[in-house]
Amino acid sequence: MAAYILRRLLWTVLLLLVITAVTFVIFYVLPSGDPAKLRAGRSPSPETIAAIRHSLGLDKSLPVQYWEYIKKLVLHFDFGNSYVNDQPVKTLMFDRLPNTMFLVFGAAIIWFVAGVFIGIVSAVARGSFWDRFLMGGALVAISAPVYWLGLVALYLFANDIGVWHVFPGAGAYQDAHGFFHKAWTLVMPWLVLSAAFAAIYARLLRSNLLETMSEDYIRTARAKGLREKRVILRHGVRSAITPVITVLGLDIGILMGGAILTETVFNIDGIGRLSYDAIQRGDVSTIQGTTLVLALAVAIMSLVVDVLYAFLDPRVRY
Amino acid sequence: MRRSHLRFLVVSMLGVLALVVAACGGSDNDSSSSGGSSTSSSKSSSGGSAGTDNTKAANVQGKKGGTITMLAGSDVDFLDPGRSYFTQGYMVIYPTQRTLYSFKPQDSAKPVPDLAESDPEISADKKTITVKLRSGVKFSPPVNREVTSKDVKYSFERFFSENVGGQYGAYFSSIVGAPSSPTKGVKPISGIETPDDHTIVFHLKDASAVPVAAALVMPITAPVPEDYAKKFDAKNPSTYNTHLVATGPYMVKNDAKGNAIGYKAGKSIALVRNPNWDPKTDYRPAYLDAVNIRTNSSDANVASKQVLDGQSMLFDANPPANIIKEVATQIKDQYVQIPSGGYRYFPINTTIKPFDNINVRRAVLAAFDRNAARLARGGKFTADIPTHFLPPDFPGFDEAGGYDGPGYDFLSTKNESGDMALAAEYMKKAGYPSGKFTGNQEFLMVSANVDPNKAQAEVAKAQFEKLGFHIRLRLVPQDSVYNDWCQVRSKKVAVCGGAGWFKDFADPQSMLEPVFAGYTIPKNPDALNNNMAQLRDPKVDAAMKKAALLDGDERLKAWGEIDKMITGDAPAIPFVWDKTTLIRSKNVNGVANGYYTAWDFAWTSLK
Repeated sequence: MAAYILRRLLWTVLLLLVITAVTFVIFYVLPSGDPAKLRAGRSPSPETIAAIRHSLGLDKSLPVQYWEYIKKLVLHFDFGNSYVNDQPVKTLMFDRLPNTMFLVFGAAIIWFVAGVFIGIVSAVARGSFWDRFLMGGALVAISAPVYWLGLVALYLFANDIGVWHVFPGAGAYQDAHGFFHKAWTLVMPWLVLSAAFAAIYARLLRSNLLETMSEDYIRTARAKGLREKRVILRHGVRSAITPVITVLGLDIGILMGGAILTETVFNIDGIGRLSYDAIQRGDVSTIQGTTLVLALAVAIMSLVVDVLYAFLDPRVRY
Repeated sequence: MRRSHLRFLVVSMLGVLALVVAACGGSDNDSSSSGGSSTSSSKSSSGGSAGTDNTKAANVQGKKGGTITMLAGSDVDFLDPGRSYFTQGYMVIYPTQRTLYSFKPQDSAKPVPDLAESDPEISADKKTITVKLRSGVKFSPPVNREVTSKDVKYSFERFFSENVGGQYGAYFSSIVGAPSSPTKGVKPISGIETPDDHTIVFHLKDASAVPVAAALVMPITAPVPEDYAKKFDAKNPSTYNTHLVATGPYMVKNDAKGNAIGYKAGKSIALVRNPNWDPKTDYRPAYLDAVNIRTNSSDANVASKQVLDGQSMLFDANPPANIIKEVATQIKDQYVQIPSGGYRYFPINTTIKPFDNINVRRAVLAAFDRNAARLARGGKFTADIPTHFLPPDFPGFDEAGGYDGPGYDFLSTKNESGDMALAAEYMKKAGYPSGKFTGNQEFLMVSANVDPNKAQAEVAKAQFEKLGFHIRLRLVPQDSVYNDWCQVRSKKVAVCGGAGWFKDFADPQSMLEPVFAGYTIPKNPDALNNNMAQLRDPKVDAAMKKAALLDGDERLKAWGEIDKMITGDAPAIPFVWDKTTLIRSKNVNGVANGYYTAWDFAWTSLK
């Protein structure tokens, strides 16, 4: 197992190098706009543009630029400075990363627990009122865009602009201090972010579980006289949940790159909002930094998922 | 599904829908208005404002003390007066710095002396500007000494350095010795003299004193103490941005060493009183004790509702169009509307046939549904429809014809939605007997790929096609619309799908010359060119050169006439004069500054 993890980590490093090369090509070789011109202000002279290009190192050859970027990244963990306000990209990202992590992991716990619970109930009570009610609700949750759902939640339940003053409103997270206070301000964002995911997971688990429950080994388990609860949880769910875990890992990884809409609606200072602002302003170095964070998160989460497989599925061995 | 279950589900869904509708409807009980003065749909009065009266609000004797929170959708570009070039930055710079001249909220057209003691003295040959500085203005801690003219000189010199990277050097390029490209380190400028501690003299290469004097309102003129800032300016980029000292009534909260601990990039800015500010030296009342700016209030809809429903809050920029409509029609006493000081237009490339024919261009203007283009940017609550270029409340606006315009039939208040019959007449004059263009060639239009620019370009495309033109609309990222397309002559863009020109200071020359003077077009076809229509009208060029030397009322009259001439040439379709709408909480006496079109913290107070 240890050798496998080490091997995967080395592959992750290689993958990240490839990603830096790809993002470099996208943002430096095929940029949407010339960063030097964007920074040059009104009516710049060609000399001014050339001087800015020089100060940004954009007049060097592309391999040299890439080499310097990688050197700074590997040796000093330096992502460069924002083109917009000259702040170190590393500071901008790592100031915001804990906020995104808190948002995403909190929501992931909710959607995973809710999704698994609903999926099991629906599968076990297939065709019943509860099955139809829960699956109908899941369909509504999948269909509701997170941005719209966030706004509706705020207009209904926020303690500043809501009809009923129940939960802390947008921006409250930034003023909160301490774990529990911060967690309280995230209850509404967690619920909103997790709604669609919980619904997808519930539907996925339901269909997997229905398929699993018709397998021969389940019939054997029942024939052996095991209690139905044990058959479902120990034998059915354990097998049916594996694809859900795969999706969970990837979803968390992707959201670590930024739950942009949730962060925007609830005014949570996260990586997603940073990426969005950077894209809006053509802030290439920040875009590149957040892209790498996203890639790293996806790579790490897929590794975690693969390791988890070994525990969940007895057939998997590394 | 069994019927009872179906009924249950339907009832549940209806219940949820009812709640949603109730929530989206907003709080109607807040919509009652007391003292709301006007609607925003009508064209403004001479004050140029709607909602609450900004001048009246500025004249109110405010309550002293209190803290205001501003919700802002984005951060400042920079706090350093040598670097900032955007509204958000200006909004913090003007209450914290004393520029030589600045604008009272009551009049955004005429600057008043600020750090300067009196109006600038301009020599008869228009080549020298002398400014006398006020005594008793001191820097905030940790500098704590009185400002001298050398501090203003240093501010200009550092602006041109590579480490600071000032962004509007073109306005001051006529100063003798002003660098033409960023300098390595801060270099002296020979054309700026400081004969004594309270006098600064600008020597110019040409007779451009009037526009240069008008530009002395810009943040470049805020003093920077060389003895303190030198070590920060030696770094690339300069770190003075996070070690600022102030001269205005407020300062960014700092520690004993001068570190701007009140500035958290992308998060917040804390302004507190500057202990060294002497109200006797300033015209600003500075009622508030502190201002907290949240620079990451990401969702404009939510933030706007928080401001309108909450206490002691301001919103930094235009709220979304639905909120503007709501405040303009329902909550009439919680907003102010001021002209944004600029024009948006569709430049028509006058070098591409048949747009080199003035009658074809006039036909395009006559047919153009400017109302539809305005709708793409938010509709009647967000902008007026222009009849020429110089915007409302701007010097030269009245001289150019005011809201009614110069009187051209193809760009009048009567054809805001287009007049195809009139357009056909112009097309016939241009040699198209059918009243429409009959050629087969395709014309390139370039626009940003995001709304509202995309939407407005689609409207423009439809307008050209009404007259028979085949338009190929190329949508590109916002970053490259101008730098890679519209401003590059070699790209042969026939119509730019939207451009805007906004004031940097109150002088009509700065609004018309860079955009329409033929002599500003660079020879290199790949160099950036602001004259996107490539208009080369010798009469306009000659009039501009003559008007540049004028002063006072004569100057306004001359530039008003030039605006009329340009409008007559029809090199572009002006389609909106933007209005900036600013909203506030009920207990705030919000005062906007028309120069930088944002709330003015030095005049705003709590009720």
